[in-house]
Order: sequence, then structure tokens, then C-alpha cells
Amino acid sequence: MRRSAVLALLLRLVLGALLIVAGLLKLRDPTAFATEIANYQLLPRGAAVLAAVLPSIEVVVGASLLALPRLWRRGAAAAALALFVVFTGAVASAYFRRINIDCGCFGTGGGPIGALTLVRNLALIAAAVAVLRLDRSPARRPAVSG
Amino acid sequence: MLSLITRALCLLAAGTLLGLAVNGVRADGVRFARFAPPSVCTMTPDSGEAPGPAPVEALAPPDAAGLCGDPSTLIADVRPAADFAQGHVTGAIHLPCTASGEAASAAVDLVAGRQTLIVYGDGTDDARRVADELRQRIRRRDLRIVVVSGGFGAWSQAGLACSSGPCLHCAAPAAVSASVTRGPGSAP
Repeated sequence: MRRSAVLALLLRLVLGALLIVAGLLKLRDPTAFATEIANYQLLPRGAAVLAAVLPSIEVVVGASLLALPRLWRRGAAAAALALFVVFTGAVASAYFRRINIDCGCFGTGGGPIGALTLVRNLALIAAAVAVLRLDRSPARRPAVSG
Repeated sequence: MLSLITRALCLLAAGTLLGLAVNGVRADGVRFARFAPPSVCTMTPDSGEAPGPAPVEALAPPDAAGLCGDPSTLIADVRPAADFAQGHVTGAIHLPCTASGEAASAAVDLVAGRQTLIVYGDGTDDARRVADELRQRIRRRDLRIVVVSGGFGAWSQAGLACSSGPCLHCAAPAAVSASVTRGPGSAP
């Protein structure tokens, strides 16, 4: 197995498990999660709908990263990348506006937003990009003639 | 052949539909129409000028009893289960302060749509601890949180209505929810 394939597999496992755990933790108390979203002061009116759908999206994307064939795994990696970009934007917005709120990244009690939260989210973005780049079909060797 | 972006959108759409379906069938799912976003942000002290929700009030038992007839009022008993079983304010749910963190999370859901939460304990202080925690968790400005001064003893001495019976839902906040869906209709 090529080194890049091993790395892609490891990153997929980490991202998939992380998304599933985060989604399941958020599913435990959707109303509290809606409050966490509203605390960001970005979409207060849409917080309830987001709280209802985001955890399931995370679980579906995480499970797809772990279990689906390569073509769909890459789609899941792209979806995960989109999620992480949105999450990072929200976290960065709260951080730079100096809003002292819980991250809500793993449901309630996820800890306050700080520079470390931003770094972690940027690392997740990098990991999703890496999966997209590394989890490709192996290049076909040209047929040997003669 | 589906493109990468199309597959990603399909998965996001599947998650969205699943989330809406799960939320729709869950008894404790977030209610879109009733959800009230916190009206007060938790800004850092140097930047926050917004007024907070009203602080917890302390009312004498007769005054608190006057609020009980309103169906938008929820009454919570924070005393131990044995004391609750021996007697409690009619219509009260059990919200023991020994499990205030977990139970308070359940209470956040229970007070959705309510306008008043009456909390009482053995005395004033134990009820105030739980009430203050709930006030921190529930930032709705339209929710009034009241503590009964003197606790259950003062309530009983005032000759106000009480019920008794075993606490069937002390261990599980989810069960508390099931009990409370009947509503506090039996007000004193």
C-alpha cells in the first residue's frame, strides 16, 4: 500500500470518527445546540433549523467517509471540507468580534472559542483537503508492449 | 457520471432530510416556531452593554401560589426524592439539585414556551442555587424565574395545596419530561 494511501486512510478514519462523534453529541440536546448556534449572532432566526440538520449532516458525512466507495468518499471529503470552512468562518467571526461563547463544536460544553479552536478547525480543513488529494484511484500503469 | 460536487451536495441533502425527519419525530426535538434565540449575548465584559434577563426573584408562598394557575407556569421541586415523595406542591416536577447539571439541561427543554418557572426547595438557598443555574442556561428575557421564600416548609405552613407520592422520574431527566408533558394543570 502506498504511503499516500495509508495517510488518506488514516485521515479518513480520523475525520469520519470525529464527525460522527460531534454529530451524535449534538443530537443529545438539540435545543441547547440551537442556543449555542444563536450565540454566534450570525443566524439567530435560523439557529433552530441548523440545530436540527447539522448533527445529522455530520453523521452522514462522517459515515460516508468511513464506509462508502472511493467516488462517494471523495464527495464526502468535499462535503466535510465545506462544513469545516463554514464552521471555521463562524468560529473566526466570533473570535475576532470577541464574543465570549462556547464553541458548540461537540454539543454543549465544548469549551469557549479561542485561538486553539481556530487552529484546530484550520487543521481539519487541511485534513479534508489532504483526503481529497490523496484518496484517488491509483494511476494506471501504461501497458507494456512488445 | 456524478461529479464530486454533486456527490457532496447529495450527501449534504441526505443529512439535511435525515435531520429534519429525526427532529420531527423526537419528543425533545427543537421546535422551529417556539425556539427563542437568546436575546442577550454573552459578550465579554468590556464590550457588553446589553441588559440581561431579569434576575431570579424571591416571592413569599402566597404570592408564588398566585402564579400557579397559569398554564404557562412550571413548578420545580429541588429537594431530595424522599422529601418529594412525602409531599410536594401540586403539579410540581422533581428537579433535584444533587443532579442539577443534567437535570437542568432537561429543564431547559421543559420551560420552552413557559413564561414562569417557580423553583422551591427545603429553604430559599437550595432553590436559588438551581434557579441561578437555570437563569444562566436560559437567557430568555420573557421567562420569569421565581424562588419560593422559605421553601416547602413555608408553603405548607401557609396552608397551600400539596400532593404526595413517589418520585417516579428522579433518575432520568427524560422521564421528567414525560411527566411534565401533562402540564401543571393542577395548580393550587
